Amino acid sequence: MASVGKIARRSFLIGSAAVAGGVAFGVYAWRKPVDNPLLADLPEGATTLNPYVMIDADGVTLITPRSDVGQGAVSIQTYLLAEELDVDPQTVRTSFGPASGAYYNGKVAAEGMPFAAWNDGLVSRVGRSAAGPAAKFLGLHITGGSTTVPDMYDRLRAAGATARETLKQAAANRYAFVRADLRTEGGAVILPTGDAVPYADLAQEAAALDPIEVAPRAAEGWKWLGKNMRRTDMVAKSTGTFRYGGDLVLDDMIHATVVTNPAMDGGVVSVDDAAARAMRGVEDVVPITDGFAVLADNTWRAMAAARALAIEWDVPTGRPADSDAMWEAHTAAFIDDAQDSRFADDGDVDAAPGDLVTAEYRAPFLHHAPLEPANATVLYTEGGTQVWTATQVPIFVRDAVAAITGQDADLVQVHNQPSGGSFGHRLDYLWVQQAAEIAVQVPGRPVRLTLSREQDMTHGFLRPMAIARGRGTVDDGQVRSLDLSIAAHSVTESQIGRAGLPAVGPDVAIVAAAWDAPYAIPDRRITGYRVPAGVGVSSWRSVGASHNGFFIESLLDELIAEAGADPVAERLRLLHDDASRGVLEAVADMASWNGPLGDGKGRGVAFTIAFGVPCAQIIEVSDTEAGIRLDKLWIAADVGQVLDPVNLESQLSGGALFGLGHAMHAEVTFDNHRIQQTNYHEYESMRLWQTPQVEVRTLETLPTIRGAGEPGLPPAAPALANAIFAATGTRLRDMPFAKSVRFA
Amino acid sequence: MKLTVDGTTHDLDVEPDMPLLWLLRDELRIHGPKYGCGIDACGACTVHLDGLAVRSCQITAQEVEGAEVTTIEGLGTPDAPHPVQQAWIDEQVAQCGYCQSGQVMQAASLLALNPAPTDAEIDAAMSGNLCRCASYPRIRAAIRRAIQSEGA
Amino acid sequence: MRALLILCALAAPAAAQSFDPIAEVLLHPRCANCHVGADGIPLWSTEAGGTQPHGYHMQGGESRMGIETLPCSTCHTNRNGVLEGSAPGAEGWALPPVEMQWAARTPAQICEQLKDPDRNGGRTLAEVADHVGHDPLVLWGWTPGPGLEPAPGTPEETVAAILAWADAGAPCP
Repeated sequence: MASVGKIARRSFLIGSAAVAGGVAFGVYAWRKPVDNPLLADLPEGATTLNPYVMIDADGVTLITPRSDVGQGAVSIQTYLLAEELDVDPQTVRTSFGPASGAYYNGKVAAEGMPFAAWNDGLVSRVGRSAAGPAAKFLGLHITGGSTTVPDMYDRLRAAGATARETLKQAAANRYAFVRADLRTEGGAVILPTGDAVPYADLAQEAAALDPIEVAPRAAEGWKWLGKNMRRTDMVAKSTGTFRYGGDLVLDDMIHATVVTNPAMDGGVVSVDDAAARAMRGVEDVVPITDGFAVLADNTWRAMAAARALAIEWDVPTGRPADSDAMWEAHTAAFIDDAQDSRFADDGDVDAAPGDLVTAEYRAPFLHHAPLEPANATVLYTEGGTQVWTATQVPIFVRDAVAAITGQDADLVQVHNQPSGGSFGHRLDYLWVQQAAEIAVQVPGRPVRLTLSREQDMTHGFLRPMAIARGRGTVDDGQVRSLDLSIAAHSVTESQIGRAGLPAVGPDVAIVAAAWDAPYAIPDRRITGYRVPAGVGVSSWRSVGASHNGFFIESLLDELIAEAGADPVAERLRLLHDDASRGVLEAVADMASWNGPLGDGKGRGVAFTIAFGVPCAQIIEVSDTEAGIRLDKLWIAADVGQVLDPVNLESQLSGGALFGLGHAMHAEVTFDNHRIQQTNYHEYESMRLWQTPQVEVRTLETLPTIRGAGEPGLPPAAPALANAIFAATGTRLRDMPFAKSVRFA
Repeated sequence: MKLTVDGTTHDLDVEPDMPLLWLLRDELRIHGPKYGCGIDACGACTVHLDGLAVRSCQITAQEVEGAEVTTIEGLGTPDAPHPVQQAWIDEQVAQCGYCQSGQVMQAASLLALNPAPTDAEIDAAMSGNLCRCASYPRIRAAIRRAIQSEGA
Repeated sequence: MRALLILCALAAPAAAQSFDPIAEVLLHPRCANCHVGADGIPLWSTEAGGTQPHGYHMQGGESRMGIETLPCSTCHTNRNGVLEGSAPGAEGWALPPVEMQWAARTPAQICEQLKDPDRNGGRTLAEVADHVGHDPLVLWGWTPGPGLEPAPGTPEETVAAILAWADAGAPCP
């Protein structure tokens, strides 16, 4: 993937007005098109048609500003643009573009607001729509919250359509035709004579015109969207030729690794680096915040030397040091003073009639642990700093690096890289800051920092641990009341705090997918309690829903069992949202829920709405001599509109299996402030042999298009726990389940 | 030391205990094999050593002297993919793709040794390769597709 | 004869003439985790003390050297890995024959096995002791690499204990 700077240097493009996609909100500043950030980096005579399209002598480069962490963001952004611009998505060049507020995410901020996805009332609509402009003004160039497709669907098609029509107008002007008589194909305008004029030949003239805005093409006319498409990275990723950030090679590059205080923060008491310095290939050992970096001519030599550093670490104070104390901090948080939110409070749970059921559930800390260890390459010079790294927050990275180099932010260029997984990990950038700290100590030389797996695993920001206390009543064979209290650290406070921004008000993440579960239970209350900040926590695939789906769907399942009702029928009776009922009916049909079941088998169901996507899952398990075996997983989800059926299935299936693997096996524990799981041998998750057969069905009834990276996860763990209950009679209330049962 | 990688012989001066992975990545700049864990727990570094799948993060320079190593980039190319790579493309296995070099190399080794593995045999041979994105259903499908294409 | 007795007495305390100290070694995770039964699934022991099947669904197979398409040597070389959690190794890395299963067995059962040439590789007890003192894979149990607790004592002490036990008539518990 070519960098913008590199493309710009060999381009001869002319600036022009920009396309602002999305919805207008009646505020002038919001309607005003964003500045085109590509203009800032263009040499004289260079051209760009809008923030998403650049054309030079070699052809078109599409800007796909949403980060690709494996979810296929580059591919779908490319197809959205190519569908309108009529270029070949498999061969067109793409770039992530610069860090810029022009690439603000108009959807992600709305997810942090307490408006249920199924609620389309006036207050919700106004509230959600206010978040878009806020994101624009904040310049939130962020990838996350399953927003890439929802946020880019209109914007990129509009950008592609406008660029296409403007190019056609340029051709019409030059060759004296009417624009309506021209068409486009294969990166060229086709004249009525049949002659093809490449876009590159028309770019300068097109850029001089006022952009011609037209509506994107109707779905009926789509060439690629909505049909099985080949992801644009598939060939390279299958042949080992795809290049990630950690594969970057620059002239005169130094290979580096770091070792920092195993308690995350906390200083150094003493160091003896003589042995490390004496090792072959080691150039230097330099101090960085909370530790040291080893600079060498080979990553392995740097890592070996880092292990040879003899360091005595300071021990932090003022927060719980081990897992037992951390659980205690959570059990102590169920008090009025720590109440964070009570977004749902219907009826009177204290006066609800019927038989009482109570239960407590626990979810552990988890690591994102993407397979590509965190890495960043930084080249610092007095005149400016170049950063190559995979990040979901390029502006935060730019500003954090500028703070270290002491330069203006516009002197720091972030070249975003594709990433070997994230699951939320690359919303943080501690390692980029570390690379910058190293780079300023070796001006003029690029430093490629690669964290060891051990350093990465023991210095991550974690999915919060959480405790839920549930109670409810059943009456006359029905669920009558549900009262769920959840205590957790605030991801928003911790994560936004690291970016230096204040997080005000309650944190929806603490109760996400619980408070807004669309069940018409007469007496219903969901309360969030905020555990005082401890270790840093982070957004982990599906964020709060990753534990709350388990909490509420387990509690509901216990209540339904107590009532003697059918888990699907009772949920259907309670669901008041049509799309939600639709996915539950679909999954019951797929799994033949009411069909016969062999001896020793059990089926469990769960349903959640996360990131606006209703998703229902049924899991079938067998209770075998070797343990619980996951036989089959059925998934039904409604995403409004399907753009890439193959990748959509992969995202839903991947989300569910990722959730199951962690629910079965994974936890992060602490001793003496240190994370105890240092590598994958102590942090097991899903592997091939435990993977059930998976069947996915997608529905398209929602009024808006939705993203699928995260919504497949929350129902998976409770569906498994409920299936194990059905097969064995044992309720699993603590994750990971492997602490209580053996899996075959 | 001498080492043949993807058909090209290299003369190298490295420590005997340098893992093959880092010899490939940082000395020869062959980036197809990936560093994921460094302890044989993920399989992202898998290459073929004299035709057999090994974890290149564990095998060291002294153990590969004079050997023939095949990496994912030598197995096939984007223009002429190996049948297993073609099956991976056709089934659209990859998500982040970081593990897939190792998955493909392990699957190619599996099918070279057992051209018609059962589902259980696929599970047994492939579970040392970790995919954090959990692309496993498509890995299974791609291996079955490769079996059919090889058999056809 | 007298000299030999003295030597044995010097090498091992009187209590070592019982099978107990030998059982302590043989049932230690470094030994028993590979001396598994017919399922051929090696075991792992965690720092917390629990024992579980080898991660990643690994199987010794009929050959006891891994299944044909995933031999142990895919990860295990003839030496230990450098990092905690990495595959340990030694020359001839494989599971012992199935008839030599110790895992999930009692000291009494293992004692009888050890004396039975059909279940000890056709060895006399002196040859068993010699095997313990010289086989690289057995010796690995005392130098298992980073993060793994070695088998108790030393190879020499275990050899002496076996000889002393044999000399005492190889009594079983």
